[in-house]
Parts: sequence; structure tokens; C-alpha cells
Amino acid sequence: MSKKTAIIYSFHTQKSKKVSEKIIDAWGKEGIEAVNAEELSKEVLEKYDYFILSAPTWFDGELPNYWDEFVPDLEEMDLKGKKFAIFGLGDQKGYSENFCDAIGILAEIIEECGGSLVGSTSVEGYTFESSKAQRGNVFVGLLVDQENQARMTAGRVKNWVEQLKQEFS
Amino acid sequence: MKDLEVPKIHTIKKTDKETLEKWFRLMSIGRAIDDKAPNYLKQAIGWSYHAPYAGHDGIQLAVGQVFEKKKDHMFMYYRDMLTALSAGLTAEELILNGISKATDLSSGGRHMSNHFAKPEWNIHNFSSLTGNHTLHAVGAARAIKYYGEKAVSFSNQGESSVSEGFVYEAYNGADKEELPVVFVIQDNGYGISVPKKDQTAQRKVANNFTGFKNTRIIHCNGKDVFDSMNAMIEAKRFAMEESKPVIVQANCVRIHSHSNSDDHLLYRSESERNYVEKYDPLAKFKRLLLRYERFTEEELQGIEEEVKLVIKTAHRAALKAPNPDPESIYDFVLPEPYPAEKYPEGVHNEEGEKIKLITALNETLKAEFRRNPDTFMWGQDMANKDKGGIFNVSKGLQQEFGPKRIFNAPIAEDFIVGTANGMSRYDEKIRIVIEGAEFADYFWPAMEQYVECSHDYWRSNGQFTPNVTIRLASGGYIGGGLYHSQTIEGSLVSIPGVRIVYPSFADDAAGLLRTAIRSKGPTMFMEPKSLYQSPKAATVVPDDFEVPFGKARIRKEGKDLTVLTYGNATHLSLEAAEKLEQEGYSVEVIDLRSLVPLDEETILKSVKKTNKVLVAHEDKVFGGYGGELSALITEKAFEYLDAPVKRVGSTYTPVGFNVILERAILPDMKRIYDAAKDLMSY
Repeated sequence: MSKKTAIIYSFHTQKSKKVSEKIIDAWGKEGIEAVNAEELSKEVLEKYDYFILSAPTWFDGELPNYWDEFVPDLEEMDLKGKKFAIFGLGDQKGYSENFCDAIGILAEIIEECGGSLVGSTSVEGYTFESSKAQRGNVFVGLLVDQENQARMTAGRVKNWVEQLKQEFS
Repeated sequence: MKDLEVPKIHTIKKTDKETLEKWFRLMSIGRAIDDKAPNYLKQAIGWSYHAPYAGHDGIQLAVGQVFEKKKDHMFMYYRDMLTALSAGLTAEELILNGISKATDLSSGGRHMSNHFAKPEWNIHNFSSLTGNHTLHAVGAARAIKYYGEKAVSFSNQGESSVSEGFVYEAYNGADKEELPVVFVIQDNGYGISVPKKDQTAQRKVANNFTGFKNTRIIHCNGKDVFDSMNAMIEAKRFAMEESKPVIVQANCVRIHSHSNSDDHLLYRSESERNYVEKYDPLAKFKRLLLRYERFTEEELQGIEEEVKLVIKTAHRAALKAPNPDPESIYDFVLPEPYPAEKYPEGVHNEEGEKIKLITALNETLKAEFRRNPDTFMWGQDMANKDKGGIFNVSKGLQQEFGPKRIFNAPIAEDFIVGTANGMSRYDEKIRIVIEGAEFADYFWPAMEQYVECSHDYWRSNGQFTPNVTIRLASGGYIGGGLYHSQTIEGSLVSIPGVRIVYPSFADDAAGLLRTAIRSKGPTMFMEPKSLYQSPKAATVVPDDFEVPFGKARIRKEGKDLTVLTYGNATHLSLEAAEKLEQEGYSVEVIDLRSLVPLDEETILKSVKKTNKVLVAHEDKVFGGYGGELSALITEKAFEYLDAPVKRVGSTYTPVGFNVILERAILPDMKRIYDAAKDLMSY
């Protein structure tokens, strides 16, 4: 049976939705299913094997409420055998102290539940003070900065999707 | 301090249903009143100041829940409606404060609305001056530690107030003394319209204090009930068990404007407003309760219906409550002082050895500290081996009473005064003496806490008064220049709520100090420092001497002219009177001793006898206290005057350092003599 891939993002967002759609385009619509993060449940997560998660950072380093409210369920899941790639929007200038923290917060929970992370990217090209998404010289996912580096998004997304295609296999 | 783990005691899945229901009910009642408050203003009923708390729900619920009434101490701020409710105030009590009724627990309608308090439970009445109660919280925590109580002092504030210098003083002092205080920073990103970036470079403002050695910093999501509860439980546990301060920075949002006099549409975009509204903590909590099937929709609706009834009942009861009586405005300006019954006029006929003014102060302090074990004293340079106070007034006190009762304070005048106010909130038996500053000249940074001390009794409708004697080495004649010569009573007398005394002889200094320490309420005790060692100020001092407030002392009787004076000028006036006496004039010299309250009776009696008045004081003539004396006499004894009331004081300049300049500025015997002579010619 072939592995199923989902991209999970909030359908009610503006910028995150646009980037998610770029990822879907780069992936090819046939091979990926879009799931609304605001309607998440354990059952939905159990249906898929590979995940691309959108986790923009809210306020001074928080998960958006749709993720935050799912965490109590998520923490109880056994995610062994599932692979996760996380991307998220952040602002490296305005929120330099917690740039894309949400990616790091979500990554940690997934790992604690046995899920494996893919899609790490280099920290090069970003200027910030600290980020929970950073581990050594890589980020645990793709950090998208539409506020300060919007022009780089297309290239970053394209490279990331190509990388994920390798890593999801 | 290193980041330590916060245990996850509460989660949507683990917390028992009864607790969840209690929280939901409190949050719903709070929000209903928060939403309803503007209607009272629209209907001209009251609540003209309302700072909505919506968006701070998680942390406010949590602070209130961990507070133990009558044991812990709570210092809230003006956005803390849910904190108050969660700590135990009722909906009706909140509305009574909102619409400023006579039965408002906080102040009986005297203080601004949205300033909730219940002093009886240690939920203290607080200022509108943002963050200044951090110093009171530190003072209360000092008492908690001293008396060995297992309790915590809580202080809430917005993140912008952390820019205030006195907040630094509070945090630093709590860290240094290792006090059980929890400072909660409710961070909603704005100080009225000013964004956080205009306050400080660090978005997580609590991290500005990571260098403090003993202070633990906990960050939490103030919008989330569980995260906030876990953070506050851990903060309280840590502060209490380790006896160390904690700063909790709770990330909140401000869903509405700062207050009803602010319009956030002028500076916040629609998308930002939508963004913060999306994270409405109450809506989130409700979603969680339903999502994780802890409550059904019907159950929550049932609670919401009950809440509507609670609000309706509270509203009706509050509207019926009496309004404050305008006749009551003079109540609780100052509490009744110690009666000084042994020496009701504050005079004595004791004979024996004369002691200097400094000795009189030192011995009185020692006697009072022996008499009352709940006395404390601190200030700068207060105690280090043989040094005791900048002028050695407190010499030997630390050796006798120990470093827990007599100790040095950091060079932070506001801290010195503010923590005295806070510590005296712990128990009314406590009496505190502070050296407000090394010199009166350095008291200005403490003025905001001085004003607090002056307000507390009135503002709390008689429920609290700081029992604090503020000693200040005052005045010039020591070649001290601009910053060691000031005498600041002219500025202080315009602030009601503090007794102000200014002795000029050793016996009066001892008697007034004793009365001040034994009295309830604040006293400003001004010490003419040039007289500390002066033989002319030395007198015989009875061991138990007491001088009541508001009793002037006629130091020399006469019939041709009254000189009203105090402090250094008393001695100059007496010398001038002596000289005039030799020329055949009879001069009465009245040492006022007490400026607030003032002995009008003695003054007017003398004026009616002599018909001529000279006011002589060290302070500037323009704007000095003498203006009040002159006006008083003109108003109440004009018919008895044979000449204008003349005033002698210093020039309307700072005091120069070179003694040539000082002499040109400060009044001397000759100026008093000349003015008196002039009056004699009428």
C-alpha cells in the first residue's frame, strides 16, 4: 500500500495559506492532501504517513491556537513510523528573540511522540537572535519570512519540497 | 538564574471537573462585568475609568487562584478585575468599586474605579501610578520573611511599567534580600498606545533581569488557563520554599482599547485587532472544554445562564448601595496620633545635664526600639560597624538590635520609603523609622512614594496607614552647597496626609521622635543637621519626654513682637531677640516645632498680644512655609495687626557652596534683627 502524504495548515490564514499552496503546487496536487489544521483530530492524523505541517509563530513565540488546542491529543499519540516536515512563517526582525519558535515547539512534541522529523534546513541567510527551531547550524524545518525575505520564499519552498521528496521515501 | 522546569499540574485532560467548572464560572462572570462596565459610563452611573482585562484571562485567573487570603499579600493593578474576582471578591463588590459607592471595599468611592481591593484579606489598596506597588510588595515580603510566615507577596503590573526606575529598585531589592515575592508582568504589548518596542529593546522584558542572582524568571502564556496556572503554582512554590523572588512574564493580548479614554482604532490595524481577538482566552478555554468532552454544550450554557443571574443580582444590589457623603471628605486624612499624655503641652522643667541633639535622637531611638520589638530602621549608611547613619545618629543601634531590624538600604530612596510603606501593611503593630535619604536634598527620587504614604489612609477610607517615621537630615549652614543644604518642607506641606515636624532643640527632637514612632500614620521628621553637635541646641532631656503634634513652644516670652520660627532659624531668632531685648524691646519667640498640624491657637494668641509678627525660617521666602503663616494671620487676626506680617528667609536661589555665597543666601541673625527692628518702627 502506498504511503499517504498530507499538508496541514489553517484554511483561514492568509500568508500561511499562500505558502502552503505554493508547496502543494511544487509537490504536485495528485500526491498530497490538504487538511485544515482547525479541524484536526487523532483520527485524521492516523490516516497519513507523511506530513507537512504549517506552524506559524504567534505573538512572542507561541503556537497558533489551532495547534495549541490539538496538543493535548497530539501528546498522547504514537507517531512511530510517521515522518513530519514542519514549515512556518515568522519575522526575524520584529521577533528576533523567538524567530519561528512554533516550529521548534511542535517538532519537540512530535519527537516525544515517536515521530521522525525531516526537512531540516541551513540557518544561513537568516539574521535573528534565537529560535526554538534551531539545532546547531540547522533549523528543524523550513522558516519562511514573508515580512523581510518574501522574495526568497519561492526558491526556499522549491528546494525544500525537492528535499522532502527524497526524505519522505 | 537557570531555566527550571515548570511541572504540568493542570491540563485540559487532568484537571478535575469541579475545578474546571469553577474556573469557567469565574472567567464568565469576570468577562460579563468587563463587557458590561462601559454601559455604566454610557448611562452616567459611573465606572468612568475602566481598563478592560479581556485577553489577560488566563494569568489573572491563575494569580487569584493561588492567592491565599489573609495569609498572602496581593498588590494588583488597574487591569486586574479577574484577579480580584478569582481571589475571592464578589461580582457585587467589583461593581461597587466600579460605580464608586460608599460601600466599595477598596476606598468607599474615594479612589478611581477599576482599582479593586479588600484590605481585610491583604488584597491591598493600590495606586494608579503604574508599577509603584512593586515596592510595597517587596516591603510586605520583607515582613513575611522576618516573621517566618509561609506566604508570598504577589505584585501584578503591565509590561510597560517595567520601564519605571522604581520597578528596577523593587526587583533589585527583592533579589538582594531574597524575598518571597512574585512579580507578575502581564504583557499585552502596549502601554496605552505605546508599543513594547518603544519601552525597551527586549521583547521579553523579564529577560532584562536575567542577570539577577536569586531571581527566577518564568515565561508563560497568560492567555492560556493551564499554562498560567502551572506557572503561578510553581512561582508560588518556589518563592515560598526557596524564599527567593520570581518574575512571571505572562504573554497576554489586549483585545480592547487601553481604557475608555483611549481608542485603539487610532493606532491598531484591523488585522491586528482580529489577530488578538482570535486568541480570546475565554473562547479558547470554552473550546477546550468542549473539544476534550469535559463539558457538554448544554452544561456550559447552564453555567452561562447562572452567570447572567449573578450579574443581574449584583447589579441591582450595587445600584441600591449608598453614595459617599460629601461631609466625609475630612475623614481619614491622618489617624489619631499617640496622645503624649505625660507631657500634654510638650514642655518640661527637668534639670540636669544637657545633651546634644544628636545624642537625644540616638538615645530616643534606642529607647523606643527596646520598648517595641516590632520596630525597624533602614536607610543609606545606616549601619556598618561603628558607623551608624551618615551623621552617626543611629550609632550602636545595629549592634544592639541586630541586622534584621537595623540595616543598610541600597542607594534607592524610593525603595527606602516604598518598602517601609509595604512592610507596615503586614501588621499594624509594626513601626518603621527610615532615613529617607542621606540628605533632604536627595529625597526627591522618593517623592512618589512619599505621596503614596500621604494618600494611603484617605484613599483606603481609613483601612490602612503606613506607620512610618521618615527622618531627613535637613538644611544648610554647613557649607554644603546646592545638594547638602536643602530644606524641603515648603514643598512637602502642600501634600496632605503626613505630619511634618522640625525641632530645633534636643528635648523637642527627642519628644517628637518618640511621639512619631508611637503614633499611627506617617511623620516627616526633619532634623536641622547643623545643630546635631551644636551646644546651643543641647538641652536637658527627660527620659520619657513626649511632645504632642501641633503644639508650638514659646521659647521666649515677649509683648512687642511675635517671631514665628522653627529649625535653624529658631536659634537665630533667639539671638536677635536677645539683642533687641538689650535695646529695650520685648520679643516673643515661638518655635513651631510642628508644621503639620500647626498650633494656630498659640500663634493667634501671641499675635493678639503683640500685634506684630515676623516669620523667620531658613527656607526661601517665596514659596516657603512662611507664606501660609502670613496668610493665616492676615485672615484670622487682621484686626489685631499694627504692621504687615514680615518674612525673613533665604533668597530665591539655590544655596551656593562657597561660604561667601552661602552667607549671602541663607538668613542670619542680622536679617532677622533688621526685619524685627523695622517692624518695631510701626
